[in-house]
Amino acid sequence: MRLAGKRAVVTGGRQGIGRAIVEAFLSEGAAVLTCGRGAAADDLPHGARWIRADVSDPADAARLIAAAGAPDILVNNAGVQIEKTVTDSTDADWEQVIGTNCRGVFNCCRAAIPVMPRGGSIINIGSISGHVADPSMALYNASKAFVHGLTRSIAVDHGPKLRCNAICPGWIETGMLEAGLALASDPARARQDALARHPVRRFGRPQDVAALAVWLASDEAGFATGQLFTLDGGLTAASPLQPGLS
Amino acid sequence: MSALSGRIAFVTGGCGGIGRAICTRFAREGAQVVAADLAPWPDAPEAVRVIAHDVTSEAAAVAAMEGIARQWGRLDILVNAAGIEIEKTVEETTLEEWNRIFAINVTGMFLSAKHALPLMRKAVTAERTASIINFGSYDGFIADPGLAAYCATKGAVHALTRAMACDHGPEGIRVNAICPGYVDTPMLQSFFTGEGSGGGGKTIDQLQQAVREVHPIRRYGTPEDVANLVTWLASDEARYASGQLWVLDGGLTAQVQQMRL
Repeated sequence: MRLAGKRAVVTGGRQGIGRAIVEAFLSEGAAVLTCGRGAAADDLPHGARWIRADVSDPADAARLIAAAGAPDILVNNAGVQIEKTVTDSTDADWEQVIGTNCRGVFNCCRAAIPVMPRGGSIINIGSISGHVADPSMALYNASKAFVHGLTRSIAVDHGPKLRCNAICPGWIETGMLEAGLALASDPARARQDALARHPVRRFGRPQDVAALAVWLASDEAGFATGQLFTLDGGLTAASPLQPGLS
Repeated sequence: MSALSGRIAFVTGGCGGIGRAICTRFAREGAQVVAADLAPWPDAPEAVRVIAHDVTSEAAAVAAMEGIARQWGRLDILVNAAGIEIEKTVEETTLEEWNRIFAINVTGMFLSAKHALPLMRKAVTAERTASIINFGSYDGFIADPGLAAYCATKGAVHALTRAMACDHGPEGIRVNAICPGYVDTPMLQSFFTGEGSGGGGKTIDQLQQAVREVHPIRRYGTPEDVANLVTWLASDEARYASGQLWVLDGGLTAQVQQMRL
């Protein structure tokens, strides 16, 4: 029980990576509060608390953190993606992606940092897309680079009281991955091609990300701060040009 | 269930400051460990076998792996922690010193991996990956003054790590590097007392306090901090982690140089 007695807030815990983190934190003994823009899912993991909150709204973010008391752990997982280039993106797209992925992380951190106890850990979900560009994901890519920059800033400004790190997942088996593959002209072939480009020959699972989140939240990671930890099955260790696959 | 229950691990530099912490933790997590080092370790834990080992010798690498093959028939974890530093600029470094640090820090890693890989393939199952953990450094990304050859070897380690991850990932072997910053070891103490520290007239205590203050976390790492991450990377929890350089530096390199404003 590596998180026994800890209080955690995980934004966007309804599905995908966020849900896996909620489940992993619960199984490690933490009290977990999670949130989303709608009502709680019927199958919310047993023991987790849910409140309706839109993290892009500062008042909602403040309400979320207040509901958690003084959380030891904050995981900023809530995020949206829109598959568009800059020229295709509308003002509404900007509001949605930047509002949730950038302002939402900022809102939650600003509300939580003053009340988090010494030794607290903030974990932001960044992305490999904050380092290298996914095609037709302009605002999403930029929003994740923002998360990376904010992560380092919080580590530098609020250490040694708090640690702050980002996890940068690659391709994780979630609804967001399926949405990306569905854009391909031949989704089945695109999946095979994408798998062949991963040195470990599989996509990540939400549980893989949750395992790293547990480690970063735990006291085992006491010297880890200000870092962007990529978890991508080796995808970005390899050149984008693979002549065998072309 | 311990994190490394039943695993077989080979740790080069296993009797050094960080190496001992890794071997001790591995043993506590249920692994059988071979600590390979030129230095002794008289009171090593029971599950740690210490062997006299020169990482620059191919014959030694072959012999060590033959010993593991005879006893266990497989190898789950390889930690390449052996390394030295030379506190000199390029101009001051002799060719002999340059060749020696590359032989230990880079060629040693190559030889261990080359001869361990066949045994690591035998450890891979449908449920379990094998894990190689190389010691890079934050000095593979940025430079400390007066450590030219050391910085160059760590850059080589980082590139080798990515290359091996690409080549051996499909076989179920994960390859990562851990890149420590300032960790309280004999090597760090030697750095503070050596010319490379650029002490500027400060006492060692003043110098150490100044260095701590520059860290967002206001302390150095401990060998145990490093062993914590190595243990995680070696465990099944890290089964999707490969090809990455895991910086563990208390936030030191998350910031720009601290100006005296």
